[in-house]
Amino acid sequence: MARKRLGVVTDGAFNAGLTVRLDPGVSTEEMRIGEFVVVEGEGNRYFSLISDMQLRATDAALLADPPREASPFIAQALRGTTTYATVQVKPMLMMPRGADTDFLVDLEPPQPVRTIPMHFAELHEATESDFGAVFGHEDRTHFAMGKPLTMDIPICINLARLVERSNGVFGQSGTGKSFLVRLLLCGVIESGLAVNLVFDMHDEYAFGKESEDGVFVKGLKHLFGSKLLVYSLDEKAQARGGRGVDVTLQIGLNQIEAEDVLLLAEELNLRATAEANVGLLTDAYGADWLSRFLAMSPTDISAFCEQYGAHEGSLSALQRNLKRIERRPYVVPEAPFSVIDEMVAALDKGQHVILHFGRYDHPLDHMLVANVVTRRVRHLYREKVERYEQTQSPADKPRPLMITIEEAHKFLNPAVSRQTIFGVIARELRKYHVTLTVVDQRPSGIDSEVLSQLGTRITGKLTDERDIEAVLTGVSGRSFLRGTLESLDTREQVLLMGHAVPMPIVVQTRKYDEVFYAALGAGEKRSAQLDIVELFGE
Amino acid sequence: MTDESMTNGTMTKSQRIGEIVETSTTGFVAVSKTLHQPPALGSLVKVQLGGEDYAYGVVAFGTTVSPDPGRRAVPRASDEVYDEAVYARQPQLTRVLHTEFSVVLVGCFEDGSIRQHLPPHPPRLHYDVHECTSDEVRRFSERLVYFRLLLDAQGQVPAEQLLAAHIRQVYRARGHDAAWLERAARQVTSLLRDDYDRMMTVLYGIEP
Ligand SMILES: Nc1ncnc2c1ncn2[C@@H]1O[C@H](COP(=O)(O)OP(=O)(O)O)[C@@H](O)[C@H]1O
Ligand SMILES: [Mg+2]
Repeated sequence: MARKRLGVVTDGAFNAGLTVRLDPGVSTEEMRIGEFVVVEGEGNRYFSLISDMQLRATDAALLADPPREASPFIAQALRGTTTYATVQVKPMLMMPRGADTDFLVDLEPPQPVRTIPMHFAELHEATESDFGAVFGHEDRTHFAMGKPLTMDIPICINLARLVERSNGVFGQSGTGKSFLVRLLLCGVIESGLAVNLVFDMHDEYAFGKESEDGVFVKGLKHLFGSKLLVYSLDEKAQARGGRGVDVTLQIGLNQIEAEDVLLLAEELNLRATAEANVGLLTDAYGADWLSRFLAMSPTDISAFCEQYGAHEGSLSALQRNLKRIERRPYVVPEAPFSVIDEMVAALDKGQHVILHFGRYDHPLDHMLVANVVTRRVRHLYREKVERYEQTQSPADKPRPLMITIEEAHKFLNPAVSRQTIFGVIARELRKYHVTLTVVDQRPSGIDSEVLSQLGTRITGKLTDERDIEAVLTGVSGRSFLRGTLESLDTREQVLLMGHAVPMPIVVQTRKYDEVFYAALGAGEKRSAQLDIVELFGE
Repeated sequence: MTDESMTNGTMTKSQRIGEIVETSTTGFVAVSKTLHQPPALGSLVKVQLGGEDYAYGVVAFGTTVSPDPGRRAVPRASDEVYDEAVYARQPQLTRVLHTEFSVVLVGCFEDGSIRQHLPPHPPRLHYDVHECTSDEVRRFSERLVYFRLLLDAQGQVPAEQLLAAHIRQVYRARGHDAAWLERAARQVTSLLRDDYDRMMTVLYGIEP
């Protein structure tokens, strides 16, 4: 395939990237910040990103007194010599150049860059085979996330690598995070590489929903049927016909731990003394602390204070605040853990679970329930992993679990991330085969220690300087990526970077629509075939 | 007044337009075969160097003078007799006056190919100067390296005016070849990138 030449390298440094002077006929307007391009060195081909563009003039006189009535002829003549443009290009990966061939498929995969090309190396537009060489082709583990801005070919992420680490999906509200997560979940479910537990806080994943464009989009329950179970907090949801809630979930006061309550400090308006008081209560009553505390009469409280040296006023205030939990309709005095244990058993069988909040759309609900459920799930996973480590029998090997939470900063902000189960999971990497997909519009609200653990980041447009900084925490070449992030469209364009992609790339997000559902169906059949082969042999 | 010569393997007919009366390594002066009609400023001419070899040059200046260098012409027109009528009334004028032009050398045809550098030897005195056919112009102007030689010319006409005139000539000879003109303009901006004013002089001079 003929590569379009764009310019030649005239300057550069390994750390700063290359300066490429554009050829006279090439306009900056044909290029995009973040575009994937190729530099042909003598011995290597460098897969690179455009990180900046500059307009230049060789003569200061021209800038001081630009030709007033420059005809197209004169403008054209000046372009490329007297006035010219340069682009900054950051090589990300390199690959030895075969004997002048475009077919790189059989060669070893691209390597991290360890050198830079010399003067006059040529900059070219990337061809389809370049994209293929770097991003691979669609198959069971390579899922098409979208297409490059300049070409109509799929860009894939490596799902096997995606599920290995915790991931982040960021972007301002309306950039397409939830749609993108739907795509990701579909990809992971279809590949069978991990099971999913999704906290569907805004009622978007389980069931169909009207999009902002007024199109009705399918929910995952529609697409995956019995492969996916919907647990709902909303007791009315099950009654509503056609929605397909599998289980109605209740939370018992016995399941709520000190950690859960403290996480809600802000939502419940808890005072600074709450932590000490909750400590006293759990010491005194153990697992039953909350129901016993909520049942106390004022006299019980003063007796307790006398015995444990607590402050009566603050303890009664705490009780008043915690009653809000008790009043949540899905909260019951006592609930068995067996419901969550069955949920984990379903995950074990390869089913996926969406926890549907329904009408309980308050941060209090999100945080309380997600925390209680996740703690139990992580606990069971931990046991499983420990068993597996003992037996080392493949049958005991837990399936990797990916937990998706929206509004992640609520669980992972610096004030709480050390205590919440989500903070623990994010930090322990995949030790217990559990990873997070955190979805957030305000990444700067997330503990930077957690952010730096994220393997793959997918981010839509962000404008707040702190959010941009946060998303790029621990990423190399951040200054290049910053410009790219700022230049994204406000919708359906994302920057993919990290563990699951060989190099950062901007894509136009794949449409979650009829075409996608159909492709998914086709894939379903393929993977069913694979399952059969797996189970019964060829 | 035509002669036939083999240039680059092709038979070309070209006009003899003058005779060299002063010569040097960088250029020559020739007397025009026709009074008042020196070749156009900027046009491409050639002189045989011997055998198949030719020197190529660009007409850089033209003038009509009396052959006696010390004397300047005196006015001869009146209210009734002017312009062409002056010559009709005084036919001896066409014998005493002559038209000369100077040429800047920009290349040669040597060993079967066109070179855009100075010829090894100056053209010989009294040799004929030939006009180049549009075919030759086209072939010679395929490469534009010789623009440098034109820009270095130290003649009466400022070099950028000369270059502009030459580009106009070639553009016409090539049948208004826009792609070539664009290439030439680019070469000009590249050569004069350090001198914006001169560059703009040429660009405005060749704008179609
Ligand atoms: N991949 C996609 N396919 C189809 N429509 C999309 C896609 N991404 C975004 N949209 C459109 O943009 C709107 C906002 O997307 P959404 O995912 O809800 O944003 P966010 O979760 O970031 O606030 C959607 O309602 C839909 O109309
Ligand atoms: Mg959303």
